[in-house]
Amino acid sequence: MVQPNSTKRGSLSENQAAFLLLLPFLTVYALFLVYPFFRGIWISLHDWNLLEVAFNPAAKQFVGLSNYERVMWGRNIEWSLFSSPLAQLLGVIALLAAAWFAMRLQLSRVTAIALAIFGILLIVAPGFHPGPEGRWFSPRFWPTVGNTLLFVAWAVPGVTLSALVLAAALDRETRAMGILRTLFFISQVLSVTVVTLIWQIMFSPRQGLIANITEFFGGSPVVWLTDERFAMAAIVIATVWWSLGIAMILFLAGLQDISKDLKEAAELDSAIGVRAFWYITLPNLKRTITLVIVLQIILHFQVFGQSHLMTNGGPNDTTQVLVRYIYQTAFRDSELGRASAMAVFLFVIMGAFSILQFVIGREED
Amino acid sequence: MITRRYVWLVTLVSIPAFLWLVPTIWMVSLSFQPNEVLARTTSSTALGLVPIPFTLQNYADLFAYGQTPLWFLNSVIVAVGMTLGVLLVSTTAGYALARLNFPLKRTILAICLIGLMVPEQAVFIPLYSMFADLGWHNSYHALIIPRMAVPIGVFLMMQFFKGIPRDIEEAARIDGIGWLQVFWHIMLPLARPAMMTLAILTFLYAWNDYLWPLVSAQKLEYFTITLGLASIQSNFAQSEGLGRVMASGVIASLPVVIMFIIFQRYVVQAMTVGGSKG
Repeated sequence: MVQPNSTKRGSLSENQAAFLLLLPFLTVYALFLVYPFFRGIWISLHDWNLLEVAFNPAAKQFVGLSNYERVMWGRNIEWSLFSSPLAQLLGVIALLAAAWFAMRLQLSRVTAIALAIFGILLIVAPGFHPGPEGRWFSPRFWPTVGNTLLFVAWAVPGVTLSALVLAAALDRETRAMGILRTLFFISQVLSVTVVTLIWQIMFSPRQGLIANITEFFGGSPVVWLTDERFAMAAIVIATVWWSLGIAMILFLAGLQDISKDLKEAAELDSAIGVRAFWYITLPNLKRTITLVIVLQIILHFQVFGQSHLMTNGGPNDTTQVLVRYIYQTAFRDSELGRASAMAVFLFVIMGAFSILQFVIGREED
Repeated sequence: MITRRYVWLVTLVSIPAFLWLVPTIWMVSLSFQPNEVLARTTSSTALGLVPIPFTLQNYADLFAYGQTPLWFLNSVIVAVGMTLGVLLVSTTAGYALARLNFPLKRTILAICLIGLMVPEQAVFIPLYSMFADLGWHNSYHALIIPRMAVPIGVFLMMQFFKGIPRDIEEAARIDGIGWLQVFWHIMLPLARPAMMTLAILTFLYAWNDYLWPLVSAQKLEYFTITLGLASIQSNFAQSEGLGRVMASGVIASLPVVIMFIIFQRYVVQAMTVGGSKG
């Protein structure tokens, strides 16, 4: 280290320079991220009506944790093991998979633990249900969380699998491959409102391209966006189309790290195509795959625009998702307190995944 | 080396690649067809993928009536303002954290790292109520400022500055050049590639952001193009005609698509960074 002769020509000391350089960022950070974050928690502890408080700042009332109770709990809530067998069965499978992976050392310990926690949650959480004469205080909240999870459960594997296959196919530095990558990536730069505009009309039963094609082959068009069976599928399709690019690029970057020797050795062993993919590509991409999955979960759990613009959360609430519910509770129902409680819930879930992402990223180094 | 397997692979992947492009082509094609035709059928020629009959009327209408040009201008102002703001706070803080020694450095770093975990959706309600108290809604700064507080740019710049060899800087320091001059005249010019990546990441985010403009801008005069497009698509067929709405969609996408074509490498890099770090 060189000791700066800082007093020369009246220039700043290192501390002063650091202070000056950090000041702009720390100011906006403290004012517009740290403070709002705590203010959000503060609001969630109040009965806080948007309009009333706007006219009279004293109109809020401290209510402790009752917003959380009114959102997440109910009267006479009971727990029993077999109240939602399907989800709980999935939980058991996740738990077994975690144990199996951990024993065979196929996955890192972090991933196995995360999977196990997920499995336990899936077994425990759906067990809660209202007992006799009981009811949820907010009957829409948990179904909304369920829809969000369902959306994640379709969109994440959809994006991950197609991106993985494409990346494996396009893993060559030629001009044609470059153009093909661009074609798959370009929808990624569009805004959510352009994406929903395109797909809303694509799915339209009267004007839509999909309906036109169906009719061309003599079928009768599906009413995608207003049919309970297809609405979720429709927004998942639009989402996969929109967000495949990043996942593909991350996989391509991961593939480049696999050494040329390994690939050539595989080719000599005539392990090409599907076999090479299975025995060479997949095992070497394990960490990238985990990372992409976690990233996608974080991204898609916050889905808003697709549901808000394409289906309005309908039909019959089947595509209502958490962020849209928060938005509506705050800005349509003016219930800032309850909306903030839900936002804190969202933050806790996102935070857990962010930590997971951070730990996995650290392992990589 | 071009083998038969390679040709076969390219052909095979070209089919889904074309399908992937079809929705975009369709939007562009519809924007060039007359509304009277579209009201009857959207599949005039080749399922509507080729704009015959052809017209430029939708674009002419777009610029003659309606708010689209204004919204476009708003988006430019907000995106450029946000980009400059983020560059300013990120380069300065990133340099200080990467190179200078000062008390509480580790604490400050840790506090910034925690900020990466906070999603926009978790703070938009308190931000709304805070800006409402300040009377800031329906203004450009209300749309610009919240993103400047997101620490991702700081980490991006910090990582870049850490990678620059110390020799250059130290030589300058021995010559008695002040820290701020070193930052401004030596480090910033070196940091151009990272600044480019950060600028593109921020610009794309600003151009495409939907949730915050939706709650902050209630007056049509302050809509961004992304928000404006959302407001006209719910009643597209009745009021403005399908062709004109599609033309708005094309105009809204044009800047980001052009940017993507010119700076493809940077855009991919920026979106990868953005995707992998929040």
